[in-house]
Amino acid sequence: MDRMAPLAFLVVMCAGLSIARPSFAQFSNLLGVIQQYSVIIVLAIGQTLLMISGGIDLSVGSVVALGGIVAGVCYQHGLGPVAAIAATVGVGVLAGLINGLVTTKARMPAFIATLGMMGIARGLAQVLSGAESIDVSPSIAALGQNQWFFVAAVVVVCVVTWIALTRTPFGRHCYAVGGNREATRLSGVNVDRHMIKAFLFTGTIVGIAAVLMTARVGLANPTGSEGYELDSIAAAVIGGTSLFGGQGTVAGTLVGALIMAVLRNGCNLLNIDSNWQLIIIGMMIILAVFYDNVRRRRRH
Amino acid sequence: MRALSKLIAVCIAISLLAGCAKKSSTTLRIALVPKSTSHSFWMTVRAGAEAAAKESGVELIFRGPSKETDVAGQITIMEDLTNQKVDAIVMAACNSKALIKPVEKAIKAGIPVVTVDSGIDSDIAASFIATDNILGAHKAADELARLIGDKGDIGVMPIVSGAATSTMRENGFKEQIAKHPNIKVVSTLFSQCDEAKGMAATEDMLTSNPSIVGMFNACGPGAVGAARVLDQRKLAGKVKLVAFDAFPAEIEALKRGTIQALIVQNPFKMGYEGVKAAIKAKRGEKVPKRMDTGVAVVTKTNFNDPEIQKLLFPLGR
Repeated sequence: MDRMAPLAFLVVMCAGLSIARPSFAQFSNLLGVIQQYSVIIVLAIGQTLLMISGGIDLSVGSVVALGGIVAGVCYQHGLGPVAAIAATVGVGVLAGLINGLVTTKARMPAFIATLGMMGIARGLAQVLSGAESIDVSPSIAALGQNQWFFVAAVVVVCVVTWIALTRTPFGRHCYAVGGNREATRLSGVNVDRHMIKAFLFTGTIVGIAAVLMTARVGLANPTGSEGYELDSIAAAVIGGTSLFGGQGTVAGTLVGALIMAVLRNGCNLLNIDSNWQLIIIGMMIILAVFYDNVRRRRRH
Repeated sequence: MRALSKLIAVCIAISLLAGCAKKSSTTLRIALVPKSTSHSFWMTVRAGAEAAAKESGVELIFRGPSKETDVAGQITIMEDLTNQKVDAIVMAACNSKALIKPVEKAIKAGIPVVTVDSGIDSDIAASFIATDNILGAHKAADELARLIGDKGDIGVMPIVSGAATSTMRENGFKEQIAKHPNIKVVSTLFSQCDEAKGMAATEDMLTSNPSIVGMFNACGPGAVGAARVLDQRKLAGKVKLVAFDAFPAEIEALKRGTIQALIVQNPFKMGYEGVKAAIKAKRGEKVPKRMDTGVAVVTKTNFNDPEIQKLLFPLGR
């Protein structure tokens, strides 16, 4: 029952906002919120699967930027939108593969491996673009005109990740490896192979996020999506995902991401200063983790 | 470990020698430190600086942080350049207070500093060469007032809370718009100089204030985001948009009628005059303390004037 607290908070917040600003509850605004925060929602879902497995990915924001730039480079070289989208998703997959190999084969903490990737991907994005925003295929930009494209992507990513986590051996391994890595290894699970798979899964989602970002903005910006790694981790944590692995759900993270999205949207609608938005969201993160700790201690 | 320290020693020795060799040459070495090494604005400042450097036969060193918010990175660059004993520095400050100390250190080391675009809160710099942002914002306000027939609700989108340029453009705009009593600023949201964030802010602004008939956007990426939202909501032309800068995507939006007027600065002139002033300062000649590089209000009407074309495409098409 007390796991429902974040959801209850989200509902109360939405109700309050609807009263204070009737424009909040308009269908177009709610759809707009999903569209505005689709990239962060999707990244948070990817981050959740990895965090459950005891990993973390600090490179997601940079890889999203690099993916977009690659779409732009494809356009410059006369490739079609389908090839460009494939290449963009490919950038995410490749970054995930490298992150996975470095953490397992070179025995490095995911924090360090992905911190390195964060710099590498950002630098590559700047180099490939000549440090300027570049155009992408008009067909990709046109995708961004359709709000349902973003909603569909969010739904697909959530459902697929939910199935992977709750209905497959891969999902069971996520919780097992994150809960107790050594015990899982001793029981015959190839932990390294699992971690590479988990990084690949998240990498694919990051690639999809890069497509969403590019479609939304209609061009590729090498300095864009900065700080999204922290936003995605914050959303997962607010939704009850443990930084130490073994715990977390797709639904929880979705609620966590929506809390952040509605908070920002609400602050804008109420004309609250952007500096106060930072303070409010910061307090939310601390409160959420504090609440989670108390809840867990009470159970034991 | 031992081998490593030897290697480092050799490297240091080589770089010292190289430094000495450079010192002995008589060509002046002028450093240009932009707020960031991305965005066409700084590329244009650089082009202007290079033109002046070529004309005067000096060497230009271009070094800046990768993003405008990296204040610490810019301080490090200033300290490095001071240690390297370049002859003069042309700098656009990422932060008007944090860069005072590094500039003081450079001047103490005998290196004159000229600030361009964004200055520091101190008059120790040899010269400050920039757009008069308040004057530019006044022009933006008058243009938007004209476009909306001198009445109605408008939204204002400055850049980043607390940044000097952002504050000047916001206050300058609001100050001038206050002279038009039938116009009301109903919303102020920041774009953070990012297309995606500018889009979200514009969407929220329009959702909570459907009465908005005009918008002022204080920077290029924010305006690109705002224009995209107006296109998506089929409000292009209905909600008048006046914006600073001349990013390629902004110029496109001006051509298709989503942006009605661009307030265009002259970054090429900043780089050019910056290097010229730095050379004069190094030679002990007199330089003006303040130089305005001016703005032009670009609309569809004057778009094809040769002067405007040169401002819009300083690096050629």
